[in-house]
Amino acid sequence: MKPPDQQLTSAQVGSVLKMLALTTERELNCSECLQHVGEFAETRLASQPVDAVMASIEQHLALCPECREEFEALMTILQAGQ
Amino acid sequence: MTPTEINWPVALRATDSGEQAAAMRALRDVLHHGLRIALSSRGDVSEAHLEDFVQESLIRILDRLDQFQGRSKFTTWAQAIALNTAFTELRRKRWQDVSLDALLADGERLAEPGMMAEDVLGAQEDRQHLVAVLREAIEHELTPKQRAAILGELREMPFDQIVELLGTSRSAAYKMLHDARRALKQRLQAAGITGTDIQNAFNL
Ligand SMILES: [Zn+2]
Repeated sequence: MKPPDQQLTSAQVGSVLKMLALTTERELNCSECLQHVGEFAETRLASQPVDAVMASIEQHLALCPECREEFEALMTILQAGQ
Repeated sequence: MTPTEINWPVALRATDSGEQAAAMRALRDVLHHGLRIALSSRGDVSEAHLEDFVQESLIRILDRLDQFQGRSKFTTWAQAIALNTAFTELRRKRWQDVSLDALLADGERLAEPGMMAEDVLGAQEDRQHLVAVLREAIEHELTPKQRAAILGELREMPFDQIVELLGTSRSAAYKMLHDARRALKQRLQAAGITGTDIQNAFNL
């Protein structure tokens, strides 16, 4: 961890505010995201429109830096294989 | 056979042990290749790490074969699990020395003005107002554990680590964080701040 007394950066405060802006009553958790993220990545690669489930994945990825990191890595792999 | 020609769910469940082993070897190669591409830019991943990640991923994938619904390619689904396995482990290593006390103490200070770098406020008035409301909301709307959890998120601490530190279940931690975010959001809304205001103030 960065030292506890380290100040929060503008980017960090911005990201928590963004998180709040995107917060909704019902949200997907990381396990649900993992279950569908492959389909979302393929949809994205094919530039296809997103349905309701895919939209909730998109919302989770906007909120969750960990799933987003893994999604971006997955896109890297899929793009390398094209 | 190439990966696209294999019927993975069938081959991995094959009762013929030769066929099953061949599918396992092929999947191992696919995952290894993918993880190597995805993690190649990191300095902290050795060949031995890669092997470990692949091995653990194979076990997890076989464990949850029933959950594959065929809505993506099998290899894409499997690759997502392998990445989750690898990143979870890498994050765990990075954060393993942090204690709950340190996080709680850090969280206590979250509402203090000195906790935010100069550039958080910038020159804009709308931004100063926003941060002031946020700080006040953090101070009044959250419990110490909620503050610690929000701060952990802010510092990009892995969720699993937050769960572990709080000594709770994943679902309880989810609920706690979600409640915290909703409480903060309500407070911002009550102060007349909208999502658009946030986006504008922070150029999101
Ligand atoms: Zn997530």
